[in-house]
Amino acid sequence: MSNKPYATISRRAFLGSAAGAAALLATRPSWAAGKTLNVLSHKVHQTVLGADDGDLMKDWKAANDAEISWTTFDSNPLQDRLFREASLSETDYGVGYLIDNRPTSDIAALFEPLDDYLKKDGIEDFDDIAPGLVQGMTVDGKMIGIPVRHATQGLFYNEELLEEAGISAPPTTLEELMEQAKKATFKSKAGTPVVGMVLASDLAVFPVMFARAFGGDFITQNFELVPDLAAMEEGLNALRGMFEAGALPRSYATTKNDDQVTWMQQGRAAFTVLPFARNGQLNNPEQSKFPGKIKAIEFPISAALKGKMPMASVVEAWGMVIPKNAKDKELAWKFIKEVSSKRATLGMAINGNGPVRVSTYAEKDFVAKNPVAEVEAGVLAHARGAFPPFPEAARAQSTLLEEVQLAVLGRKPVKEAVASIIERVKPMMPA
Amino acid sequence: MRARTFLIGVGKAVAVCVILLWSLVPIAFIVMSSLKPGADIFAVPPKYVFQPTFQHYAELWSRWGVFFQGLLNSTVITAGATALAVVASTCAGYVYSRNSSRFLNASVLSLIIVRLIPPIVVTLPLFPTVNALKLNDTHIVLMVLYATFFVSLGTVLMRTFIDQIPRELDEAAEIDGAGRLTILRRVIVPLASPGILAVAVFVVVFAWNEFLFAFIFTATRAKTAPLVISEMLGSIDGVDWGILFAASTVQLAPVLLFVIFMNRYLVAGLTAGATKG
Amino acid sequence: MRSRSIASLVPLLAPVHILILSVIVLPSIYVIWLSLNASSFGQEPIFVGLRNYIDTISDPAFRSALWNTVVLVVVAVHVELLIGLGMALLFASGLPFRRVLLVAVLAPYAVSEVIAVVMWRFLFDPDVGPVTQALLSFGLPTLDWSFEPSHAMILIALLTIWLHLPFTFIILYAARLAIPADLYEAARIDGATPWQAFRRVTLPLLGPAVIVALLFRYIFAFRIFSEVWLLTQGGPARSTEVVAVYLYQEAFSYNAFGSAAATAWIMVLASLLLASGYVFILRRQVAANAR
Repeated sequence: MSNKPYATISRRAFLGSAAGAAALLATRPSWAAGKTLNVLSHKVHQTVLGADDGDLMKDWKAANDAEISWTTFDSNPLQDRLFREASLSETDYGVGYLIDNRPTSDIAALFEPLDDYLKKDGIEDFDDIAPGLVQGMTVDGKMIGIPVRHATQGLFYNEELLEEAGISAPPTTLEELMEQAKKATFKSKAGTPVVGMVLASDLAVFPVMFARAFGGDFITQNFELVPDLAAMEEGLNALRGMFEAGALPRSYATTKNDDQVTWMQQGRAAFTVLPFARNGQLNNPEQSKFPGKIKAIEFPISAALKGKMPMASVVEAWGMVIPKNAKDKELAWKFIKEVSSKRATLGMAINGNGPVRVSTYAEKDFVAKNPVAEVEAGVLAHARGAFPPFPEAARAQSTLLEEVQLAVLGRKPVKEAVASIIERVKPMMPA
Repeated sequence: MRARTFLIGVGKAVAVCVILLWSLVPIAFIVMSSLKPGADIFAVPPKYVFQPTFQHYAELWSRWGVFFQGLLNSTVITAGATALAVVASTCAGYVYSRNSSRFLNASVLSLIIVRLIPPIVVTLPLFPTVNALKLNDTHIVLMVLYATFFVSLGTVLMRTFIDQIPRELDEAAEIDGAGRLTILRRVIVPLASPGILAVAVFVVVFAWNEFLFAFIFTATRAKTAPLVISEMLGSIDGVDWGILFAASTVQLAPVLLFVIFMNRYLVAGLTAGATKG
Repeated sequence: MRSRSIASLVPLLAPVHILILSVIVLPSIYVIWLSLNASSFGQEPIFVGLRNYIDTISDPAFRSALWNTVVLVVVAVHVELLIGLGMALLFASGLPFRRVLLVAVLAPYAVSEVIAVVMWRFLFDPDVGPVTQALLSFGLPTLDWSFEPSHAMILIALLTIWLHLPFTFIILYAARLAIPADLYEAARIDGATPWQAFRRVTLPLLGPAVIVALLFRYIFAFRIFSEVWLLTQGGPARSTEVVAVYLYQEAFSYNAFGSAAATAWIMVLASLLLASGYVFILRRQVAANAR
């Protein structure tokens, strides 16, 4: 690849060849025999459906004489692109993958309601799909998406590091977790400085989990803002306390999601909160210094509430949607139907997907492959999204994170920060 | 006198070392990390002595074939955008250098002012327009976009460089009966080659690494390498740092090679220009 | 005699202006209209007049982002210019292995910003980063950038200089090499010291290139985004936010397109004011050069 503008090119010659090239590149090739379904998703959705011999959609493709063409992006760019495509007069995409905390009323209106499709050409044992996830894809009474993947948050800990710190068993209450995190802040035998817990500061998930552990929440499913003031303050105090004691990294404000994984793999932290699905990566001998030593349990609730109510961990789910301006909606629905079948759901689960069907958790093959399956199933039963979708949700999340950072870093007293959250987010709430 | 020369020499050597360290350390780390076993990449304390492995490159090849497709697309788009930008800028730069009028001066300023608009907002109306024209996911749309965002700088730069070419040469050629295009081709371009190469380098580097437009306007057929790398950083199922750094090293290489290659012409062109009276 | 009318010049000017018109100017007109509306996915735009502008300007987060941007741009660009000038002169004065060194100097420009930030984050990790360790071992102060906003701004400045210094360097170096050697010969014969040669020959002849480099560097630097977004995301608590990050949040995180459009126009105005000094000097040159 060498570019020699130094050569003498006459403008005419260039224009001529450019026009020829343009004609070649600008025209769209006509599709080969059969239909093509264009899917807009994250790469992981494509990989869990397998490829070549392990292609879960092999028979479907043959039966429908269709090819699947995947356009993949990272999560946030993907959502942005999906909404852009759905806003055009018509789009080439038949199926899109949507995250459950995005569809506000306006956005949901961009997608085809699927209740009628379900009645005419139903999905196998639809009630088997976790109702909470189905609820998440229902907006204004219309179901616009079929759940296909979920990621539920759990508490991960490094067995070896805990042992070194003199802790014999993982925590069963939040207060125990805080104690253990403070105790597990030390310099390990290997010479690595260890912090008790590593958390990213750019996701609402974590402050929400802490608030929920004390029986509170940020925004409930009924759009109540901070229903339990004391609980939210206790949650933030817990985080602040850990930071002050050095049990949260000093670089808390710039820690990202991936840092959590890397720190656990390198033994720089003893605890973290991550989706259960990360279990494989954390214990991967090719990347982790502690393969097999990183375990996962349910995030513990506070001692006062233990046994009285279940911990409502945070879950994020993906659903398959059909843009209203899609061309071949029938084919799109057939795809969705097939991917939602029991067979495909199990296959995807074995490939590392978080299955949306309750029955999958009982399947032997899946449980054998995924050591945390049982724990995850238990947590999923009581889990819900970090916050419900509404137009200013993203802004509300940013405001929450800003105030939480100020509180944790000690720049603002916790009480003031919580009051600030309520004051600033109130006008953003839906009427 | 000799002491002074020696001190200057030492000063230069120190400066060169600092420059080398400053420029190359981060890049060295990227390349090194691509050869480290996965668990050692972000090891604490950092590991400088390790067992090098090509495993990440092998996995890049087998699991991320789409990356190499992306490199191909990036190459085509970069070449096209650069050619377009350079040609357009040189023509316009030539006109602005050799002519002046209130109108022309104003239009140069307008070129610069127009560049103050953040590209992000321009995409809002362009996306539906490009789709309506059926130009989405084609190489040409990116070529045009990238070239557009560099013709302002290119034109001003070419004007500056062409200003340094004496007008007498133009006039001599004109007397010999040459038309404007011929003057451009035979007289201006060879002498302004350092400027042309400078502009080419800017466009190449920009187009090669650009993300925003590529993300908005492509899907599969014109997907560029930076998009694939950003997918590798996508945190749903975790980042494989080894593969990421391997991809980064591979992505870095062609542009570096281009710089090495054009280096030769840059120096040659400049010394040729300097010996002219 | 050839006609020097403007009409005959049009074909040569056409490509540049057609590109700019269709890709930037026309969409910008739409964006002006958009800034007077509230718009998002799935909604029809609603006319709100100047409210987006008022909301943005009265947002303390925007004003602090603007301040951060101005400080960052002014400091980083001038430091970069000085270093770039120094390096250009160093290279021009003759160096061994010049070609290899040239490649080394230009290498950072070839690295994508995303990867550069990943690597810099690790190198400067406050606990375990190699650079932090090296600084500590020499007894030098380290950058507590993930906690102190001012330290974070310093790191961002360093990073942006690292990434873009080659840009400034190329312009200055190419311009320096284009100065005919005879002028320096003449100066030497006249008994000029190196400093006088620099002031009388180099500086004036480099002037135009310096102005161009500064101007465009200002324009690009004002839009600094990746370095901030990927390093601190504007944190802690939005204290290192810059206007491009603010704009990105409005456009992509909150999908508030009208607000994003208004922010963009305010950015244009602000960067115009900042660059106006240099544009003025450029204009004088344009007039002066037309002989």
